[in-house]
Amino acid sequence: MIEKTRFIPDGKKELKKLPIINYTDSKYLYYPVTSSRCADGETCVRGGQFVKVGEVIGTRKGAFFEQPMHATVSGEVVGTEKHMDQSGKSVDCLIVKNDFKYELHKTIKDRTDEEINALTKEDFVSIVREKSLVGLGGSAFPTYIKLSTKDKIDVVVANGVECEPNLISDYALMLTNPKAIIEGLIYAMKASGAKKGIIAIKKKYKEIDERLSFELREYSDYDIEVVKIGNFYPQGWEILTIKNALGIKIPQGELLSKYGVLNFNVSTLASIFAAVKHNLPVLERYISLSGDGITNQNFRARIGTLMTELVESVGGYKDIEIPKVLILGGPMMGVNVSQDDIVMTHTTTSLIVQNQVDLHEEPCIHCASCVYSCPVGIQPVQIMNAYKTRDKDMIKHLGINKCIECGLCSFVCPSKIHLTETMRKAKRFASK
Amino acid sequence: MQTIKQTSPYVRKDVSTKRMMIDVLIALTPVVMFSIYRFGMDSLIRILVSLVVMVGLEAIAFGMMHKPVKSDDFKERFKSRYKDFTINNITAPAVSAIIFAMLLPSKLPIYAVVAGAGFGIIVAKMLFGGMGSNIFNIAAAGRIFIGLALADMFTGTYDGVDLIAGGTALTAIRTGAGFPYTLNSYPLIDMFLGNIPGSMGEISALAILIGMIYLLIRKSADFRVIVSSLATFTLLIFVAGLKLYPEQVVEYTLFHLLSGGILFGAVFMITDPVTSPTSRPGRWIYGILVGSIVVLIRLFGAYPEGVAFALIFSNMFVPLIDYPQWATNKYKPAFFIGTSVAILALVAIVFFGVGGIA
Repeated sequence: MIEKTRFIPDGKKELKKLPIINYTDSKYLYYPVTSSRCADGETCVRGGQFVKVGEVIGTRKGAFFEQPMHATVSGEVVGTEKHMDQSGKSVDCLIVKNDFKYELHKTIKDRTDEEINALTKEDFVSIVREKSLVGLGGSAFPTYIKLSTKDKIDVVVANGVECEPNLISDYALMLTNPKAIIEGLIYAMKASGAKKGIIAIKKKYKEIDERLSFELREYSDYDIEVVKIGNFYPQGWEILTIKNALGIKIPQGELLSKYGVLNFNVSTLASIFAAVKHNLPVLERYISLSGDGITNQNFRARIGTLMTELVESVGGYKDIEIPKVLILGGPMMGVNVSQDDIVMTHTTTSLIVQNQVDLHEEPCIHCASCVYSCPVGIQPVQIMNAYKTRDKDMIKHLGINKCIECGLCSFVCPSKIHLTETMRKAKRFASK
Repeated sequence: MQTIKQTSPYVRKDVSTKRMMIDVLIALTPVVMFSIYRFGMDSLIRILVSLVVMVGLEAIAFGMMHKPVKSDDFKERFKSRYKDFTINNITAPAVSAIIFAMLLPSKLPIYAVVAGAGFGIIVAKMLFGGMGSNIFNIAAAGRIFIGLALADMFTGTYDGVDLIAGGTALTAIRTGAGFPYTLNSYPLIDMFLGNIPGSMGEISALAILIGMIYLLIRKSADFRVIVSSLATFTLLIFVAGLKLYPEQVVEYTLFHLLSGGILFGAVFMITDPVTSPTSRPGRWIYGILVGSIVVLIRLFGAYPEGVAFALIFSNMFVPLIDYPQWATNKYKPAFFIGTSVAILALVAIVFFGVGGIA
């Protein structure tokens, strides 16, 4: 109604209660050769060649974003096939036939503590780059670029807020493996020279707070603190997380490192730990199937697993006669896909299947709920009006480029107007 | 299985325009009940007439404004005109109709009611494009139209328990005995409960306040416009009272607050979102504007009462307040400086205006 809306039903309660099933049945695993940032790619293995866990099987090319591809199972390379990736685009995928032995490649060796202590910033950066670590919160931004900043870093933030509804990947990780997060945070602090580390979590996650605080007692040499911040949406947006956890206001569009802050998702930090300590790339992720059109289930699955298999393993969709909306990611900012033929990549943490709901758009009644709720302080209704008249200067003046497409304006609209989509169109129009 | 293309977000909040409209209708019930209790059939008939005219005319105009599909079958063409007709095309005019009826005296001739309701819904709403597009408050526009065009019909139509000056408390203070003697015939407690002559919905402050509390709890009205308009009104009347009746300034302020349509207007008419600005500072400014214009009309104008006028006049400023070049949802220093200066200026105008500079 006419108020600032910050809380959205988060749908995590039921998911948290479900067990996490370790999914290891996939016979074939698929590795996209290209991604949305790397338009080009090449493989360095041949059909029939035997690969092992952690072996480099190719490179996705794209200047800064160039990253090696790693096999996550051992087995035989059997060819390529087209499947969809996270962005919903059809891409070539390399297929590896799983031999279910999970033999590790010979480069996969643990580093001793002495070796780790001797690592310099450059070493950290090159390890992270070799293991093709990316921001696992959803951005898939290469971690090595963040780590190799030349600015002086004072504090590293581990972002465990996960404010999107229906996602429990970070939550499950913090509960099951807090050590990896803390170690990863310490490595990130070493690599960047930061003195202070902060783990930001939601206030209502009391169990996480206890778990982390308990583990942190072993690391009393380091200045690491668990900070509880609000439960609202979009609290996980790094600028809001940092503002509420540290009190540092960072203008939109500026690099965080300029203000002495580095922000990593907790999963990314765990992957840094695995890369530095065990020399492993990201092998597995937590993934949950949720929504009213499917039996809800949490999985731990290898990168490269085909989503179709997961869907089949829970018995397919419910009520097939009702049309469904498939969403990769959360219900506020996720990507809509047309089928479940999707390869699990680093940032795939959730598939939501929703039954179709008819929404009838009514005329705008100027209630201003969207204006009150916008987390970046722009005025969606004014931008909509400016876009209707195709007033490019006005759209720019109204600050369309600040829009983070969080979806709150559409969410709150009592007339069910799809403002977020209008914002996207206006943004595209203004930048033309 | 069929999949559907959609864009994020895929979840929506459980609110609707329908709920907002129905909330206003519910909030209006105490006022309507009270008017029926006070004026009986007179009130009921006028409310029903207003409802039928507004809802019916909106439906007719809606059909005329929508292009039919090409078809030989009359039924099919007719149906296609009403394809987009929703519950909101009934609840919204119903809200306007009841508010409009509440602004009328109980003995007003029926055809005046029809004329005002028709003007409001056709000229002030549908000609502007229907729901969400009107720039003037529909009920206020209708009330002003008949107030000016059919002015003679209003004389002697205010029904009350004790008809002293043949009009409302506000006409009494102007043309009758004058303040503070009006307090004898209109004690404050009667004014609060609604035991006075006046328009059907405006007399009982109690009923209005119950409606206000409901609206605010349900968040179907913005508290900013209510607070800013009432605060501005109270402040300026208080200042005028200081000059005019220094001994009875509290009674004077309360008298003004409880008489006329200021409370009803502040709760049910200013809060109409369609004709309000769409930012927080804008809504404060809008409330100040309405509150101060009501005071200026009451103190210096030719009419005893001016909520409808103040509202229509402020509606004209909404596009200016909302002009995207400067409208913002942030409270900037310019907003605080601007409003403080404006309020100080208004206080000075009222203070020196009522008593002279001597």
